[in-house]
Amino acid sequence: MTHIIDKIFANATRLIAIIVLLITAWIFTVLFQESLLSMQTFGLDFVTESKWAPNLEKFGAFAAIMGSVISTFLAMVLAVPIAIGVAIFLSEIAHAKLKAPVGVSIELLAAIPSVIYGMWGLFYFVPIIRDIFGGIGIGMLTAGIVLAIMILPFMAAVTRDAMNTTPDILKESAYALGGTKWDVIKDIVIPYSKAGIIGALILALGRAIGETMAVTFVMGNVHKVSFDLTQPATSIPVTLANEFTEADTKLYFSSLFELALILLVISFTIISIAKFYFLRRTRRA
Amino acid sequence: MSTICSVTEEKALEINKFDFTYASADEPSLKQVTMPIAKNSITALIGPSGCGKSTLLRSINRMHDLYPGNKYEGEIMYNGRNILDEKEDLISLRVNIGMIFQKPTAFPMSIYDNVAYGLRLQGMRNKTELGDRVEKALKDAAIWKEVRDRLKHDANGLSGGQQQRLCIARAIAVEPEILLFDEPTSALDPISTQGIEELVTELKDKVSIVIVTHNMQQAARVSDYTGFMYLGELIELGKTEELFVTPKERLTEEYITGKFG
Repeated sequence: MTHIIDKIFANATRLIAIIVLLITAWIFTVLFQESLLSMQTFGLDFVTESKWAPNLEKFGAFAAIMGSVISTFLAMVLAVPIAIGVAIFLSEIAHAKLKAPVGVSIELLAAIPSVIYGMWGLFYFVPIIRDIFGGIGIGMLTAGIVLAIMILPFMAAVTRDAMNTTPDILKESAYALGGTKWDVIKDIVIPYSKAGIIGALILALGRAIGETMAVTFVMGNVHKVSFDLTQPATSIPVTLANEFTEADTKLYFSSLFELALILLVISFTIISIAKFYFLRRTRRA
Repeated sequence: MSTICSVTEEKALEINKFDFTYASADEPSLKQVTMPIAKNSITALIGPSGCGKSTLLRSINRMHDLYPGNKYEGEIMYNGRNILDEKEDLISLRVNIGMIFQKPTAFPMSIYDNVAYGLRLQGMRNKTELGDRVEKALKDAAIWKEVRDRLKHDANGLSGGQQQRLCIARAIAVEPEILLFDEPTSALDPISTQGIEELVTELKDKVSIVIVTHNMQQAARVSDYTGFMYLGELIELGKTEELFVTPKERLTEEYITGKFG
């Protein structure tokens, strides 16, 4: 009897696992099918052209792709050093009594819905940027900073978790040789947890590149490649969020789907790389 | 009640009425431990798990200071000063009093860099000097022949026994006066254990050694003096051959004859 129950249970869990895979495959298929028209019409020009003119039925995703890349890059440049600093503090420096409350608050920050970051960014952050850097305040720079603030807690929490995997005995060995706290952090903790840290950073990168709500508020949705960071710009998710409701022609609709497909492939690649790092690490440990 | 034999040799350390209390505990884990440690000899600490032998060992290089709230009382005299003093420079103390752990702790770097680590911490930068010291330490730790051709390789590629000898090489490279061994063979196979035991015996010409072991035979094989600890107290300290043959305390006798453990 128990044998049969075990079998039913095993098959039920297997079925659920397969359903998840099927849904993923389904999403890919839908995106691909819906993109076909746009792919046939524009070919490779879709990714190299930045002219996005719905009224002329001309669609080029270059500005959106560049926007995603630049805003994410900006966010990473700003967030990585701070996140690593916070992680070092939480894992190695903070007093035990401080570790838990600060650690939990950071995890709570990571749970703030991104739309709230977006609203806060638009109403309170945009004016500050406008005063300091000029322009209208909405644009690439603001988006990068809001993204950085948004991914920072997650990045710090996961980096801290990676650093916490360093065995105490290994750290003690370095202290026992006359190492200072700083020596132990830079020679033992960081090298030991390097793979985990890189994994954490890449996971955060994956979040940043797909982030929609927080940046939609503050980016501007202008399809133009500009290296003046105070100018309004757009990114793939921002374009999708802003324009799906307006897509009145088949080609417009299909172009947005191709944009979505590109985003999915980018995110998928990034997450796979991160998981590959993590897996390699856990297998070694 | 305790019986402490007299140590005729010069002393490396003198522990006097030493109490230690963990931050998380109300009661002291070590009570009124008084114990001389002879220079250039091997002193073994034995006793059932939880008796405080590792706690005592980790007090000698102030390892407990890494975790806040732990409390020391009494004296540990070393070179004429009490190292429990608040002004004690823990960095230089730990350079002079090295430690080997229960498990091999090769750092995530090359074999060469592992051994050079302590020397570099002290500011040694000269390549030839570093190279000479690393080679000498590896030879003294009886592992030079096995690693001479792969000094640049990751130390984690070595076997457990080799890694533990590497850790010993790393510890002796900075030329400490005292070496503390915290159950150094508990994670090793019998052959590697024998290698480490032989190495420990050879090292006593250069350093004074305190070794914690859960293995009484190991204490009997390698040590000159043995201390038996029970429930945070040092019950008996004697010359090893005497303690194992004619223990003076009833508790010691019961422990070494296997009546409890």
